[in-house]
Amino acid sequence: MTRWLRVFLVGGVISYRGLFNWIRPSIYIPTMLGSPLFQIIFFAKLGQYAKAQDTGFYVVGNAVQVCAMASVYGMTMAIANERWFGTLGPLLASPGNRAAVFLGRGLPVLANGLVVSAFGFAVGAVVLGFHPGWAAVPSLAAVVVATACSCTAFGMLLGSIGLRAKDFWFAANLSYFLMLLLCGVNIPIDQLPGWLSAISRCLPLTHGIMAARQVAAGASLVDVGGLVWTELSVGACYGVGAYLLFRLLERESRRAAVLDSY
Amino acid sequence: MRGVSFAVERGELFGLLGPNGAGKTTTIKMLITLLLPTSGQARVLGHDVVSDAREVRKRIGYVFGGDRGLYERLSALDNLRYFAELYGVSGRDQRRRIDEVLELVGLKGRERERVEGYSRGMRQRLHIARGILHDPEVVFLDEPTIGVDPVGARELRALMANLIATGKTVLLTTHYMFEADELCDRIAVIAHGRIVGHGTPAELKAGVADGRVTEIEVFGIDDPVLDRLRAVEGVTAVVVEDRDQKQLLVVQSTGDRELTHELLGRLDGVSVGRVASREPTLEDAYVALVTE
Amino acid sequence: MRTLRLIRAGFVANLKMLGTSSFFLLTSTVQPVIFATIAFYMFRTGGRSGTLLYAALGAGMMGIWSTTLFASGGMIQWQRWQGTLELGVAAPAPLPLVYFPFSLANTVTGAYALAATLVWGRILFGVPLHLVHPWLFFLALPATLLSLGLFGLLLGSSFILYRHANALANLLEYPVWIASGLIFSLSVLPGWSRPISWILPPTWGARALRDAAIGGAVWGPLGMTLLLGLASIGASAISLGWFERRARRDATLSLT
Repeated sequence: MTRWLRVFLVGGVISYRGLFNWIRPSIYIPTMLGSPLFQIIFFAKLGQYAKAQDTGFYVVGNAVQVCAMASVYGMTMAIANERWFGTLGPLLASPGNRAAVFLGRGLPVLANGLVVSAFGFAVGAVVLGFHPGWAAVPSLAAVVVATACSCTAFGMLLGSIGLRAKDFWFAANLSYFLMLLLCGVNIPIDQLPGWLSAISRCLPLTHGIMAARQVAAGASLVDVGGLVWTELSVGACYGVGAYLLFRLLERESRRAAVLDSY
Repeated sequence: MRGVSFAVERGELFGLLGPNGAGKTTTIKMLITLLLPTSGQARVLGHDVVSDAREVRKRIGYVFGGDRGLYERLSALDNLRYFAELYGVSGRDQRRRIDEVLELVGLKGRERERVEGYSRGMRQRLHIARGILHDPEVVFLDEPTIGVDPVGARELRALMANLIATGKTVLLTTHYMFEADELCDRIAVIAHGRIVGHGTPAELKAGVADGRVTEIEVFGIDDPVLDRLRAVEGVTAVVVEDRDQKQLLVVQSTGDRELTHELLGRLDGVSVGRVASREPTLEDAYVALVTE
Repeated sequence: MRTLRLIRAGFVANLKMLGTSSFFLLTSTVQPVIFATIAFYMFRTGGRSGTLLYAALGAGMMGIWSTTLFASGGMIQWQRWQGTLELGVAAPAPLPLVYFPFSLANTVTGAYALAATLVWGRILFGVPLHLVHPWLFFLALPATLLSLGLFGLLLGSSFILYRHANALANLLEYPVWIASGLIFSLSVLPGWSRPISWILPPTWGARALRDAAIGGAVWGPLGMTLLLGLASIGASAISLGWFERRARRDATLSLT
């Protein structure tokens, strides 16, 4: 059990450091904190001008979404970069339990997503004057954790696809934009045409944002329990999919010896 | 660089010969205005390479070769069209000139393919095409035949000789002795950032002509022994070449004397294989110069 | 004349190369279309239907800025990776003239973004494509693209001086969208930010296009756009001059 934990924690953090090459402050700050800062301001101001929804709608939506960005990109990079750096071979050859290794990659990404989200809310409070009230903060944190988990799982799936596909950045960037449109970040999903909002419900982030908005408006964690569970379930599905895909690719590449040709 | 000085006459094919890391590319880059010398002066066609860079750039062409240095996603033709404009080939002449150089380097018929699909040899040829496209007075070639198959290399050398015939001046760098011997009017040998020998190929050969080379195969040798060998009267250089399990000692000496006995005498305790004595070649001269 | 030929040659060369990039495709069409859609929904909800064209133009300009920022920002570095930077430096033409055409091509392909958002808006959201001053619009468009192309050159020549330029580029996307008031009026921003908005070419370019399309005074913004473009030439020349001297001194022209 402890060995599992070690592979999970130590392996995860070290590999994260090595691959997720944004950790230097000179890069981390602009990318992880600077970008979300301005994204939130952008949509809040746009919403203000368009007179669509109140500021809080946009702050909550985008503050939770930025953790999605951190998780999806971070995870995609963490996995897909293994290929570029040629570490995929050694990884697959190692005896460490696959699930532990995989999940170990996810932990730092998750933590990072939380930091970014917290920062987003801080921005909303300081720059835009949106205060959900201190009572809401723990519940909000819990909702964000759940959302971050499901987005990390989604990132794992994209990363696993990235192991095989030639141009996985396209998919990762595309998913960022689509989530911005479809997950209720800036547009309530009931305003979207039926078939689009159906897709929304299958994506991570959607239910998390709905829950977060209710919590910010005063609801308790129990009230939004259903939404949170849905969010986690969606994430779990992606996680399982990612794991299966990873094993499948691993087996296939061992058979076809195509690992190094990626 | 540790201080380099030389002059190239108009119409000459001048060779800069030296091992990797000697400073050949650095020297060329200074002459083509891509590097600023930290001290000293250089002039190309009368223009200073630092203060008059623009005038120099108008009149020279250079070829560096290698895999990079071309727009991969464009065809060879598109690359040449662009560079023709960049290097000032007049509008009217462009099409004709591009055709000419493609013919010259043997890429006619494949110019519409994207460079990313080109082999090493083809890229090299395209580099050369680009380098002479604007008909420069002086052409700098940095190891142009490296990585090219023997047949292709032979064609390239013919091309270079041709350039001289059309009145251009060529500065060539290479680490192939025979190439310098075959093509160059004069050679400067560069090693460790300095010029260690210069002259026509004949002069360089003459430098070692009245000497001898003794080749001794040994199995395991160390520095004290090598020093003893070097101390033998008449010995000018001892070079060790590794050959699998054994080493080949190449001992150069002045004068006509056979030094075999004396050398073997100093090799007491060392296992010795074949021994041969011969006339020196230009290669030996080069090796002696660069391993000092 | 020579100058124009060189500009055309570089422009055409880069245009051909951009056509093959999937990243470019994403930034210049998918991204603007998605942002336009978000804006359309928001404007519709808020009851500002009359400004759907405003939103389409704004999203298009956002796309133009993104291509300018990312493609031109990384341009000199990209040349270095390709191994063609030395060729550019060794050319007899001055360096700004060598690389301006590449930057211009980057910006002009951003115009696909504008076309995409307008077409998308028309087909899916019924955005009226009626232009109040059509001739002025088709004058303001190339002027804006020219100005941004010049500004892109400035970005490229400045970014190459910093090691972590990529992170910087990421950081300038949203802020310029905000400060230039591309898709919302500057009136929602605090007063102290106004001077920042005024020195950004996209601010004036967007205003010129909007005024030409929806009605307003075009000439003022048009003049400002071109003026800022000219200023960019001067600043680029300085920046590139520094870069070239330093790179030639430190032998970094051919490094990756």
